[in-house]
Amino acid sequence: MAPDRDLFLRNRIFRAVVIALFLVLTINLFVMMVPRHSFYKDQALENRQVRFRVRAPRGRILDRFGTILADNMYIADITVPPSSVAETGPDSTLARLMSWFQLPRQETLERLQQAKAKHRGRRRLVLVANASMSRISAVEERGRQLPGVRVESRPRRRYIFGPLLAHMVGYVGEVGQAELDTTDGVTGYRLGDIIGKQGVEAAFEDVLRGSSGVKLEEVNASGRVVGRRAVWLQDVTPGNDVTLSISLPLQNALADAIGDRTACAVAMSTVTGEVLAAYSNPSFDPNLLTVSITSEEWARLVNDPAKPFFNRIVAATYPPGSLYKPVTSLAGLGLGLVTTTSVLEPCLGGWEFGDRFFRCWKRGGHGEVDHTEAMVHSCDTFYYQLGLRLNIDQLAEAAAHFGLGRRCSRIFPEEAAGNIPTTAWYDRRFGVGGWTRGVLLNNAIGQGEILVTPLQMTLLTARIASGGAVPNPVFVVSPVQPLIEPVLLPYEEAHMDWCREALVQTVARGTGKAAILPGIAVAGKTGTAQNPHGEDHAWFMCYAPADRPEVAFAIIVENAGHGGSEAAPVAGQWLRSYFAKELELSALENTASERAGEAN
Amino acid sequence: MDPLTLLLPPGDRRIFLAWLVLGLISLAVLWSVTEPIQGPYEQLDPGVQKGVFYRQILWLCISYCAMLVAARLPLRYLNSIAIPLFLFSLLLLVLILVAGPTIGGARRWLVLGPMRIQPSELAKVTFILVTANILGRSTTGSRSLFAMLTSFVVMVVPLMLVLREPDLGTSLVFLAVWVGMVFWYGVPGILLVGAGSAALSAIISFYSESVVHQAWPWAVYLLGLLIVLYLVRLSIPAKVTLLSLNIVTGIGIPFFWDKLKTYQQERILTFFDPSRDAFGSGYQAIQSKVAIGSGGLFGTHYLQGTQKGLAFLPERHTDFIYSVVGEELGLLGAVFLLAVFLIVIMRGVHHGTVARRPFARFLAIGVVTYFTFHVVVNVAITTGLLPVTGLPLPLISYGGSNLLTSSLLLGLLLNVSSRSFDD
Repeated sequence: MAPDRDLFLRNRIFRAVVIALFLVLTINLFVMMVPRHSFYKDQALENRQVRFRVRAPRGRILDRFGTILADNMYIADITVPPSSVAETGPDSTLARLMSWFQLPRQETLERLQQAKAKHRGRRRLVLVANASMSRISAVEERGRQLPGVRVESRPRRRYIFGPLLAHMVGYVGEVGQAELDTTDGVTGYRLGDIIGKQGVEAAFEDVLRGSSGVKLEEVNASGRVVGRRAVWLQDVTPGNDVTLSISLPLQNALADAIGDRTACAVAMSTVTGEVLAAYSNPSFDPNLLTVSITSEEWARLVNDPAKPFFNRIVAATYPPGSLYKPVTSLAGLGLGLVTTTSVLEPCLGGWEFGDRFFRCWKRGGHGEVDHTEAMVHSCDTFYYQLGLRLNIDQLAEAAAHFGLGRRCSRIFPEEAAGNIPTTAWYDRRFGVGGWTRGVLLNNAIGQGEILVTPLQMTLLTARIASGGAVPNPVFVVSPVQPLIEPVLLPYEEAHMDWCREALVQTVARGTGKAAILPGIAVAGKTGTAQNPHGEDHAWFMCYAPADRPEVAFAIIVENAGHGGSEAAPVAGQWLRSYFAKELELSALENTASERAGEAN
Repeated sequence: MDPLTLLLPPGDRRIFLAWLVLGLISLAVLWSVTEPIQGPYEQLDPGVQKGVFYRQILWLCISYCAMLVAARLPLRYLNSIAIPLFLFSLLLLVLILVAGPTIGGARRWLVLGPMRIQPSELAKVTFILVTANILGRSTTGSRSLFAMLTSFVVMVVPLMLVLREPDLGTSLVFLAVWVGMVFWYGVPGILLVGAGSAALSAIISFYSESVVHQAWPWAVYLLGLLIVLYLVRLSIPAKVTLLSLNIVTGIGIPFFWDKLKTYQQERILTFFDPSRDAFGSGYQAIQSKVAIGSGGLFGTHYLQGTQKGLAFLPERHTDFIYSVVGEELGLLGAVFLLAVFLIVIMRGVHHGTVARRPFARFLAIGVVTYFTFHVVVNVAITTGLLPVTGLPLPLISYGGSNLLTSSLLLGLLLNVSSRSFDD
């Protein structure tokens, strides 16, 4: 049988189809291998070499004796790339992980969706945070079944003493949108990096953070790092440690002394200005903020009426009350408006000025008192009269000599300057002629518009004790902070001595008896800050030993009433701990300096 | 007959030469693939054992003998035993479904001592024989609808059995080979156009529904079809039938889609967008493209491919061996390989046209379709033109069963070519 005509037609059609198919294949091959060759070539190279950015370990935060207050621990997360993980199918990577680790299905899928939406899905999704050892080994062993899945270790900040130092040490968090490095290389912060958010963590961010490195690693088909031939394009520079001036034992003693009072106290060396202890109660646990805190916990912390986040040490401002009287006295003495032995009009429970009667805290009155007795017994009537001899700006100038009215720590961004009103300030506030000299009566006893922070009150005490040798409070001893020249107090030494003696008398037989220590003379002043919103705040400031000052201390107990009865006992308790520990502390300090000497 | 002639297969020397060249290329590529992975990678990926290379040599020898036998058996005799052979292979297919071991989630293999044989490979050979037998019965040269229907039933049985294993790629081979042989038999063109356009309608409808979520691609297709139908000369009932067929398949596909299992849907969606699952089922597709594309004009040179060596290419010695060819031998090597296959196919079409007996003609075209389908689909998969499904590249991929089958089929083609002027 001869092949029919149709067969030849079919022959041609068949050949045409085959040739067409092969032509498609060849053209496709050509496109892939010639014009798009370099694209695939790069892909092939990228397949093998992955750039890893290696975060620098953050520097630690130490107390003055080298005790670690904040360091890094490493936790392991199991992560997946959100954009390239299949969500469905019984044998998908995600399905495997969900069944092995019993992850809640709905929630996991939702998190994956969110991760895909965020940052264009480039950021790896932490599927299991802080994974247990058994889970880590499950992933490591079955890696080939889990392409793309990685175990990533990540440093987590650990605050060993939790709430004890929360306000000073602060805490870290992930960089926010504003801090991100958008211009490449200026700030160097990338997504997921850690940055100090508060306290020393924020103030010394540049010291602590170090600089990240970049390495090239070879990976296998599952995206797992293989080989030990990492090429470092840029070395990691670990962050440097920061040593606080805080003494951990004294800080503990302070927190113990304060107990559960809503209070804040600062203790400072009268020689160096180093802050030895500073505590604001209530506090919070910064460790809660380094892990993903639940929104309820966060809301509870933020809405707590006791305001645990509020750093009262530097951010809370109160009227200084009677703690201000030494300033008023020294201003008057310095200007010759009064002498140390002056006797003014007797106190009959207050002073009439204009059509107003300004009360003394002692309703019955102090009777006839001289300057010293007025200080020791905190006679308001005497200071009303003294205040009227001054003018606003003279009083404000005296306050400035003691560091009031301006930020003195320069570490805490939340620090408040307080307020020392001047003529200009009153003119701005009430208009020229809108106020009278009557404000002087209030200012003279530390009320009215005057506002100070607990830290400023400690500084005031330290400057009285040292005669101005203490320039400013120091929170950090290493890295060494730029030296500040001691201030020169323009007061005669006799006036300063009189003031110190009056403070000694205040504790010995006046309002500050609760701070008396056996064998050690304490100089101090009590105060009560009027609080229009509730019970008055109790103030106490002191330094000791009175003859050879070492340490200055100031405390405010909120809504507690009188300083003499509520604040001075806390100071007394802490001072007892201070002097009990003094021997052992100086021993420690000696060994520390010896060690430093050997290291040099 | 001198012994040398006896040791060489008879018939078309170009086909035999192609077999030899392809066999040698296979060995060369497998040697490269089985080179140990360097350095630390070894611990993570044992790589492909050298044994694969030596076993392929063994299988080449066995296949050579099988090819010799297939080329020398009288065609008349082959025609007479086609039906019993086919029934026997169907029996094996049923047997493995009932009693076969499950390996890798599928029942595809018959285990005989150290050997694993895929009955579906044998079934391809016997299916071609039996279809050639059925279509070759008509002595008058006129087309018989009965013969076509019979061959259709004969095709559906092994297709369904293999699909149950499951092995989608192999089951499609039966369909493709049947289409090729029935076309050669002389099926009315309108039927082919109808079937082809219906399939196209289904694909475009699916694309509209599940990939772009918009109706317009399918609407454009239907509009185009209407215009074509308006322009061509065809009876009104034929036009209506054609159009309704297209509409029915187009509308029906979403319902069929819903019946698929989630992982099957995912697999198909991943084909349209491999980055959906870059580390899962899209992984092979992406890595294979990267390997081929990085080959460039001249390749990374033999033994130098990084994709294959670093274990980025899965199945690199079997279904995805063509990516290694592309990576190491470049565009030139890849196209050369295609050219060798094209020679075999074109010679096959020639012998399928000039052979005197219908059985020989259909046999030749069955073999040709088999090779065309395997080569085109395999290369299309490795270059990302088709979704990933398991289908070896004949004579190149590692695997005894397929090598034996392909050699047997080439032996039959040589047989046809040697006897074409006999009788």
